[in-house]
Amino acid sequence: MDAIRTENLSKVYKGIGKRTVHSLTELNLTVGEGEVFGFLGRNGAGKTTTIKILCSLLKPAGGTAYIFGENARNRATRRLLGYLPEQPYFYEYLTPKETLDFYGRLRGLSAAERARDWDRLSEMLELREIAGDRIKSFSKGMRQRVGFAVALVGDPPLLILDEPMSGLDPLGRRMIRDIIRHQHELGKTIFFSSHVLSDVEQLCDRVGILVKGRLSKQGQIDELLGGQDNQRETLEDYFLREQQKGDLQL
Amino acid sequence: MRILTMAQNTFREAVRDKVLYVLLFFAAVVIFGSKALAWISIGQDIKIVKDVTLAAISLFGVLIAIFVGTSLIYKEIDKRTLYTIISQPMHRYEFILGKYVGLMALLAVVTLIMTGVSAVYVLLLGGSLEKMYFLAVLLIYCKLTLVTAIALLLSSLSSPILGAIIVFMAYIFGHATGVFLNLPPQFDGTLAKQLLEIAYYIVPNLSNFDIRSEAANGVPVSLGYVAWAITYAAAYTGVFLILAALVFEEKDV
Repeated sequence: MDAIRTENLSKVYKGIGKRTVHSLTELNLTVGEGEVFGFLGRNGAGKTTTIKILCSLLKPAGGTAYIFGENARNRATRRLLGYLPEQPYFYEYLTPKETLDFYGRLRGLSAAERARDWDRLSEMLELREIAGDRIKSFSKGMRQRVGFAVALVGDPPLLILDEPMSGLDPLGRRMIRDIIRHQHELGKTIFFSSHVLSDVEQLCDRVGILVKGRLSKQGQIDELLGGQDNQRETLEDYFLREQQKGDLQL
Repeated sequence: MRILTMAQNTFREAVRDKVLYVLLFFAAVVIFGSKALAWISIGQDIKIVKDVTLAAISLFGVLIAIFVGTSLIYKEIDKRTLYTIISQPMHRYEFILGKYVGLMALLAVVTLIMTGVSAVYVLLLGGSLEKMYFLAVLLIYCKLTLVTAIALLLSSLSSPILGAIIVFMAYIFGHATGVFLNLPPQFDGTLAKQLLEIAYYIVPNLSNFDIRSEAANGVPVSLGYVAWAITYAAAYTGVFLILAALVFEEKDV
């Protein structure tokens, strides 16, 4: 079963005056169960819009998004996904432990399950030392770790990550990469958007490239870049070529 | 359960809001300053003190309801804390109700504190407190439930400043609905008269919750009236909360 499937997904924003902006146009995307899928595109291409529709923050203007075969708009479907927004914001006056407990309660976890989640996630994301500190004093990297922990509360089978490496130092990026790999090994499906193409190339099984709200390509990285031989293109070159093609067509 | 979790969090957040303490400080100034007004009204001092303290409880309760209430949802959208909450397996109305219940719990605590301070002050000045004084506070709280529901609706529709202005205007209109039906004869047959008559039946009449002067002067008000006023508040609050939930259900965040 596909972990994510979108059928003709569209989103239109009303611009200033009567102008309408097509943020997403008939997006047909599939992400298989257990895959690491890189979602690429320039700023404003529609990546965050797609992610927000998958997480029910936005209502599509047309089409449907499915998570493990269930309509993404169903409340129960959201139990299957964990979401890390770009630059995650949490209640500043809470500590990481209180934050994880809060989200555990919202997911309907019992006290024992929430305690188990804290033990598991505080170790994985090195949160124990800062367990009692309020989030308002945290650096970008620490917030990202809390954000990742929140996405993993309840152990959902699908992780949707919006620019998880953005603004992190090399150590922070390494940590996020390691967690993504670890979650992949555990059988999770990971769908993430990123501008850091070297990370995408290292981590992903498949990628999708979005150009001005339309899916220009999706497929196995090796197939798209021309196999494993010396002629293989870099993802960066491929991405830029697709963008130029898209610019000429649109 | 999820509503309670949101409510606990909203309460905790509001308790840490500096605006709350500024308003409580001014409430204390007015409550203790009420004696100054009493000095200029010979022989009426306890009545004046009771009247002014009830007015202070009402005014500062409404100010907290408006200022905290109108920023409640907007702040979550603006600070993007909403993203990770709405993407949880919860209904959006649970979020709205949780925010509402949290703020009402805060207003209950604030009203109790202001009432306690006022009551002790009246007793220290040698006055006595009757049941009517506390019934007046109960109806003030009913008014706050309604004003907070309007503020919450506005919070999911507009910016806090615009929302606060609209709720404040609704508050003023809500205290003057009687005027809508008693226009001078020259308005007979005009569109303005018809519109104001319609407004009379739509805009909640907040004067229904005002039994302050009865409480200050020891004039009894029947428990039947109090029960009717509570039902009136519950009905309007229900309508505004349903509207807030419907607006928020369709909202892109």
